[in-house]
Amino acid sequence: MSTLLPALSVLFAVIATAVPWGLPADATFILPLVVVMMVFCWRALPGVTLSPMVAMLLGLLTDIMSGGPLGFWALFALIGSSAGAYARALGAGREMAPLWFIWTVLAPGLTLFGWLLASAFFLRWVDWWPILVGAVASVALFPVVLKGLLWIERGNLGLRARETYRGRA
Amino acid sequence: MRGARSPFRPRPSRWRGPVELLSFILYFLCAVLLVLSRIGHGLLVNARDDFVDLSAPLLEAASMPVILGRHALQRANSYADAFAEIDRLKAENEELKQWEWRAKSLEQKVEHLRLLLNAVDEPALHYVTGSVIADARGPFLRSALINLGRDNGVRIGYAVINGDGLVGRTVDAGASVARVLLLNDLNSRIPVLVGPAGVRALASGDNSAELRLDFLPDGAQVYPGDEVYTSGSDGVFPRGLHVGVVTGSPGAFKVRPHAELSSLDVVSVLYFDTPTLVTTDPPSIADPRALSASPDEAPPSSAPQPTVSNEPAPVEATVKQTIGSAEVAPPVEAVKQTIGGLEAAPPVDAAMKQTIGAAEAAPPVETAVKQTIGPAESSPPVEVPTQQ
Repeated sequence: MSTLLPALSVLFAVIATAVPWGLPADATFILPLVVVMMVFCWRALPGVTLSPMVAMLLGLLTDIMSGGPLGFWALFALIGSSAGAYARALGAGREMAPLWFIWTVLAPGLTLFGWLLASAFFLRWVDWWPILVGAVASVALFPVVLKGLLWIERGNLGLRARETYRGRA
Repeated sequence: MRGARSPFRPRPSRWRGPVELLSFILYFLCAVLLVLSRIGHGLLVNARDDFVDLSAPLLEAASMPVILGRHALQRANSYADAFAEIDRLKAENEELKQWEWRAKSLEQKVEHLRLLLNAVDEPALHYVTGSVIADARGPFLRSALINLGRDNGVRIGYAVINGDGLVGRTVDAGASVARVLLLNDLNSRIPVLVGPAGVRALASGDNSAELRLDFLPDGAQVYPGDEVYTSGSDGVFPRGLHVGVVTGSPGAFKVRPHAELSSLDVVSVLYFDTPTLVTTDPPSIADPRALSASPDEAPPSSAPQPTVSNEPAPVEATVKQTIGSAEVAPPVEAVKQTIGGLEAAPPVDAAMKQTIGAAEAAPPVETAVKQTIGPAESSPPVEVPTQQ
């Protein structure tokens, strides 16, 4: 698998976070969390390369696109990256259940930390409802995202087919 | 015990010191960025503006299919209930005809009153229209990127509207893109007038769909359904821009914005130069290209001509501005306009007295006002019509 593919797929998701989907105000936390979730998954999958520095840069790009404080989503991406590396060390492999379980444990803590950080940044309590919605939605979306990433990892974007063709030639 | 590993024994895996050090550095870097972002370091702000400027074409290209898809969905929805929509539009058209008649009548009345008061005409609001290319929303911010920037004459602090009402104001302006802080953002505070009585209040965003209505005076006559519009007292927004309607109950009033802030598409930026900037920012200090500098002439020649825009949004707002301000604005505004060329702030009261023919104005100030107004020396002071 190409080492660029994980980074490119996350980059695609980062750009998607900035596109005007017309989502309601309560759903604003979901798409950036999907970016963090993708970083987590790529770092957790064995044999896939996505360095923490690239993860941080992608998070920083999310910050720039969202207009929020620089470093917020970069920090989240780093935490996701570290958690993914930990999940890989635990031997979660490509199994859906353990990875989903780890994300289910991680997501509430991550969003609680995000809420506290946001409140500290603005020196007032920010609205917690969109963050809770984002956490619940990210847990619900996890299987879909992981399936998608596994689909990419298996080479279904055409890379493997081309490699096979070249090998035969 | 066999098989048990002491926690003090080093693990057999390879040394991970460099990786952990790198992780620590990256975490530290994030913390530093957050702190610098908190204090609003200029270097970061400029770098971000430049990057957003560079990425604008990519964002625009990425947004295009989504916007087209949203339009297609809206069209499909409108086809689905076309007959109900026709009935609704017919009823609305009838209502608007009545409003048109009433607006014309009021326009005549206002014109007559302005003639009586010898009021100076209010400057027309010019605007430029663009579209939203990125939706920048998160736990911190409710903002949108639009494809208008300094090259179009857009500066920081300009009001942004769409066909429904006020949307927000520009907070960053690059060469070709600007960031609009939406009304419901946590940092948005707009002085407003509420209801027919024009009760003053502050509409504050809290990242939710509706705005809070703060600082309402005790016993204010405010009711759900009252119109909320800008007061213009902050010097940032022009007076009379429609914001929304009052919802909720006494003690917890909210404002539901007219504009659908979660699905913005086409917006217009009003070239309204803030009097605060004009009077407080000396041109000798401010760089002409600086974002906060007051433009010498707005819009610049390279900017699209505002009035030739085909977009439907701003016409209504201009009409609303004219009607709204005429309905609620006392003649003080017109008097201030009369002395708008004065450099010093204090003579406002003196100029008002001069304009309404009062004799108590201090002599030096009165002289200054006469010099600014010019022909006032040769013409008698304006008489305020009094009821017999």
